[in-house]
Amino acid sequence: MAIRLELAAVSKSYGHDKNQITALHEISFTLAEGEFLAVQGPSGSGKSTLLNICGLIDPPSAGHYSLNGTALSQLNTKARCGYRRREIGFIFQRHQLIPAMTVYENIAYPLLLNGIRKKQIKLDVEQLLVRMGLIHRRAHLPKQLSGGERQRVGIARALIKRPQLVIADEPSASLDHQHAHAGLQLMRELNREYGASFLIASHDPFVIDRCDRKIELLDGRLGAST
Amino acid sequence: MSWLRIALRNVLRDGTRVINTLLIIAVGLTALLVGSGFMLSTYDALQEIAMRSEGHVIVTDDNPDPALGGTHQQLNLSGWQTLQSSLWKDERVVRVLPRARFEGIISKGNKSAVFFGSGVDSKEEFRVHGPFLRTDGVLNPWLTPQETPDVVLGAQLARTLNATKGDLLTLHTQNRHGENSEITVQLAGPYHTGTPEIDNHSLMTSLTTVATLLDTDNISQLSIYLHQREASAAVQTLLQNSLNGITVQTWQQRAELYHKVKAIYDRIFGVMGFIILVVIFLAISNTIALAIHQRREEIATLSALGTNPSRIYANFILEACLIGLAATTLGMLLSYAISNGINLAELMMPAPPGKTEGYPIFIYISWPHYLITSAMLIIVAAFAAFLTTYRVARTNIARTLS
Repeated sequence: MAIRLELAAVSKSYGHDKNQITALHEISFTLAEGEFLAVQGPSGSGKSTLLNICGLIDPPSAGHYSLNGTALSQLNTKARCGYRRREIGFIFQRHQLIPAMTVYENIAYPLLLNGIRKKQIKLDVEQLLVRMGLIHRRAHLPKQLSGGERQRVGIARALIKRPQLVIADEPSASLDHQHAHAGLQLMRELNREYGASFLIASHDPFVIDRCDRKIELLDGRLGAST
Repeated sequence: MSWLRIALRNVLRDGTRVINTLLIIAVGLTALLVGSGFMLSTYDALQEIAMRSEGHVIVTDDNPDPALGGTHQQLNLSGWQTLQSSLWKDERVVRVLPRARFEGIISKGNKSAVFFGSGVDSKEEFRVHGPFLRTDGVLNPWLTPQETPDVVLGAQLARTLNATKGDLLTLHTQNRHGENSEITVQLAGPYHTGTPEIDNHSLMTSLTTVATLLDTDNISQLSIYLHQREASAAVQTLLQNSLNGITVQTWQQRAELYHKVKAIYDRIFGVMGFIILVVIFLAISNTIALAIHQRREEIATLSALGTNPSRIYANFILEACLIGLAATTLGMLLSYAISNGINLAELMMPAPPGKTEGYPIFIYISWPHYLITSAMLIIVAAFAAFLTTYRVARTNIARTLS
């Protein structure tokens, strides 16, 4: 399979001189097209920092990385924002739905940002809502949804634009086992169907066991890869 | 998906804080509109006084007649009757009133006082002053040229002379040749202008009486009254071009009191308006800053999803505009109700400096003025939202979402 994401000696430090803290030490790995990769490690091991760099939220302090062969390390803030808008989907631990938007609007938002026509947006969003069993909730606000429903909306929002890369940070952390299982199953189905690569940070063995591969971070250094 | 609907939901989410901001803006706008409504009505009253006392267009001759032989009476405008007749043919003209200013001493028995008099058209003069000149039992028309001509005195001048209606008085002055001249007149009654300096020394008599007294039918000025004040400049230009050596002015060029009072009021209300705008600016800034602080995660999420900062600013500016719109609507309704209440209550202001009488408080209600002021406040609210969002919304996505 083709390489979708490639990191070469990526490091991330905070602070200066004596107060400098290195969160990531020369991390190198690849993520293949359509691959489901788990990043595991204890709290403070650098999982979120790694995801932020891969998701173009934070720039690395050193090293190189690329998405579909395009170097991303030197992109400015505006270009990173554009890449996130077009190529990257995010699934957050606390779902992070926009409170003032309905279920429909939350899911449609990434398409709207990408300038898709309203007619096409309606078609795509309604198809996905039916698929995810949320069509009856389309006009509801996030506060009116259960935890599981919110997670499904979050997944739908991440995948509606068919991104190259999906970053998921502890997607099961705020859910019970049943909802976590359903959510993960949905991600896998859409992963197979849309061909997106998934980079998932998790403590949860249930999630990790269902990934194609896993890498382990310990004190910001890459450990075993299985 | 409508940004307006989403902005409205966000505004409604913030309940109490938004209501507080809304009330601050509404009360501020009410203060501005009621205050400026009073200011505008004051300007209008001062304009009316200036126009009614002097006319819309005033014709004078500032070149002293050498034949006057040293007298200081400024009766330089000759041949005015021809001009008056031609002006009557102009459809824009309502009245053309001649006025002859003169001065001297008025006496009754052993009492005397200095006067500043006007020879006027007795049939028309009181009509143009309207409510700004009040008389006590003076018949209209008064000042009929008879064997003993009539005179009307400023109320205080009549009191100084201890003169009452029907009393005989003597006017002493110098005629155009510099010779002493006097005439006996009968008091038709007193009048009040509300300005002590005028009521202490002024009097009016007929133009014929002045002509007899001063031995000239020259006058000081010809006051032209128009249907519409807006035509003043056009009539002035027309006359100035046709009259050589004659001075033609509009009421504005002679309304010194109006310009002085307007300058003072402009400064007072300018400062007041500025303070209110600053308060509104701070209130909106505070509301938006708190909203941004509470919605940092939402802003970070929007940024993570690839939303341009300009779109995020636009969302908050739209919310500020909605708050501004609701607040100014409330403010306009409040101003309308309060202004009408004050106008209906017929409250009186105390006498201002230099006046002996108070005047009714009247608040102008002008919808164009309401809308322009409200639009200005909405722009201030949008600007405050932009500055606050610009400073605060550049949140660190990674730190906020971690």
